[in-house]
Amino acid sequence: MAIIEINNIEKTYNPSKVPVHALRGVDLQIKKGEFTAIVGPSGSGKTTLLNIIGGLDSPTTGQIIINGQDISKLSDNNMIDFRKENIGFVFQAYNLIPVLTALENVEFIMVLQKKDKKARQERAKELLTAVGLADKLDKRPSELSGGQQQRVAVARALASKPAFILADEPTANLDSTSTAGLLDMMAKMNEEEGMTFVFSTHDQRVIDRARRVVTLVDGKIESDIYNG
Amino acid sequence: MLFQIAWRNIWRSKLRSMIVIGSVLLGVWALTFLMSFNRSLINGYIDDAIRYQTSHIQIHLPEFVEDREVAFLLPDGEKLFESLKEEETTAAISLRTSLSGMIKSPRAAQGITITGVMPSYEKEITRLDEKILEGTFLDGSKRNQIMVSQKLAEKLKLKLRKKVQLQFQDVNGEFTGATFRVVGIYKTGNTVFDLSNILVNRKDLNRLLGKKDASHEIALLLKDKQQLDVVKQKITADHPNLLIEDYKEISPDVKLYEQQIGVSLAIFGTIFMLALIFGIINTMLMAVLERNREIGMLMAVGMNKLRVFGMIVMETLLLGMIGAPIGLFLGFLTVSYFGEHGINLGAFAEGAERFGIQTVIKTDLDTNVYLIIMFGVLITALIASIYPSFKAIKLKPVEAIRKI
Ligand SMILES: Nc1ncnc2c1ncn2[C@@H]1O[C@H](COP(=O)(O)OP(=O)(O)OP(=O)(O)O)[C@@H](O)[C@H]1O
Ligand SMILES: [Mg+2]
Repeated sequence: MAIIEINNIEKTYNPSKVPVHALRGVDLQIKKGEFTAIVGPSGSGKTTLLNIIGGLDSPTTGQIIINGQDISKLSDNNMIDFRKENIGFVFQAYNLIPVLTALENVEFIMVLQKKDKKARQERAKELLTAVGLADKLDKRPSELSGGQQQRVAVARALASKPAFILADEPTANLDSTSTAGLLDMMAKMNEEEGMTFVFSTHDQRVIDRARRVVTLVDGKIESDIYNG
Repeated sequence: MLFQIAWRNIWRSKLRSMIVIGSVLLGVWALTFLMSFNRSLINGYIDDAIRYQTSHIQIHLPEFVEDREVAFLLPDGEKLFESLKEEETTAAISLRTSLSGMIKSPRAAQGITITGVMPSYEKEITRLDEKILEGTFLDGSKRNQIMVSQKLAEKLKLKLRKKVQLQFQDVNGEFTGATFRVVGIYKTGNTVFDLSNILVNRKDLNRLLGKKDASHEIALLLKDKQQLDVVKQKITADHPNLLIEDYKEISPDVKLYEQQIGVSLAIFGTIFMLALIFGIINTMLMAVLERNREIGMLMAVGMNKLRVFGMIVMETLLLGMIGAPIGLFLGFLTVSYFGEHGINLGAFAEGAERFGIQTVIKTDLDTNVYLIIMFGVLITALIASIYPSFKAIKLKPVEAIRKI
């Protein structure tokens, strides 16, 4: 069963003034356990698509079904709660709360989920260890490298036990070593935990790691390829 | 954890937060001191008014209060005086004959309130004997003694032991008068009172009036101000034909002054609150603006609007409240210090005395005021938090994140 199903999505920005057709009829299904890259030239609509899948933005027309639930009809606040329970996010930058330590940042999402203190501290430690930051628990984001910050963000995304993790250009600000490290870690989570990842990228080395590559051009899916 | 975030966020922009915290601190400090100063000033005035003018309770014939005619005598005034004198609650009491007349010196003349007193009792109640600059208090040892204030003496060019003429109507409406000799010159500090009042022996005045037991007024000072209402009610019940007034009724400006304490707290407080509200809103708006992306991210990952709102409110409250207890404490220290040593109004005393205000102010403050100020700051911070918090939840996560 597909955990993400979008049907005939269109997105037009500024419909009244100078309309920008960012997405022009996109259909996509993503199944549990997939490791999917959304690629395409700048302006092709990758961010727009991920935002719509993540319930951060709504399509002009079309339907999004996450885990069997049509989310296009949720109110703002219900949408926030839906995201909290079902979707993990990793952004390009500014993922973390600067005044909290790595451990607290990972814990934070579980605070929102009202998990009890002991359980969330244990899980946060476990996850930070899994992403290779066991020795950085008490560091604030400003004391971590870009790659380390992104790992904390992935750990945070995993902590909420979401249905899938969306990552919009998670490696855009990273050097090649950090990029490889982050990808290894994501692939490991995908294989060992069966976590579903959907990420966008420009980076060929990242594209090479994906098992499914969806190429957007001009707001339409041009190709959808499974790499073995 | 929301509290931790709020607390740490305050220290992200140290200087900016310190400015707000410092303003609250100074504001609360100043407010505490001002309130205390104001209160002490007014209480001093009220105490003075009770002391030298009104006493706690005065008893008259209702008609006399309406129209100070000589004929409106207290029925059985002396008997009432004797019985009230024995009351447990009485600290001091005085029986007076009081009328309007003219005072004439060789140089000038003016209208005046002439009060005939029984010196030994009067001394206990108004303590005018302590305010004598020259000469002595009345003692009744000689006929027609008079006490005038320094101001009036200046105005009428009077000196100690000089003679002065008093004129007034007797109980039958006939004009009468006599020559009095100045035995004492006093100064209460209240110029208005000083210029319009003179004191003579009741004995002399009653003889001139042609009625030995005449009296118009009983002034009563209680041991405890708290008993005022009880005592007043009791006398009123016992003597329904008499008008029993407390100091607030006798001197409406005293009542006004008492209310003034509350009014000035409200005025100072409101000004302070308004200034504070703008300061806090400004600071918090900056904080929210700077953290647009962060707040957008938080809403994206699942922090709902209520929580975001709560976070900003909490941060604002903390920011607003940190300085308050320190300011109150400094205020307390200042008030205690000046309560001990007093503030000498020296240079301003000339002007202040004219209004019956004491020249050395000893500050004191009741604990209620501390609570009110603390509560006021809390309310202020709460009000100030609303707008920035709304700004924060109005953010659209997509837009905030796009800017990344
Ligand atoms: N808020 C907006 N208002 C108007 N137009 C927008 C808005 N956001 C995106 N667009 C336009 O929509 C189109 C798709 O943008 P989108 O950001 O989805 O592309 P992208 O594939 O993520 O590009 P990049 O690789 O540069 O991140 C672009 O033409 C962009 O200019
Ligand atoms: Mg993009």
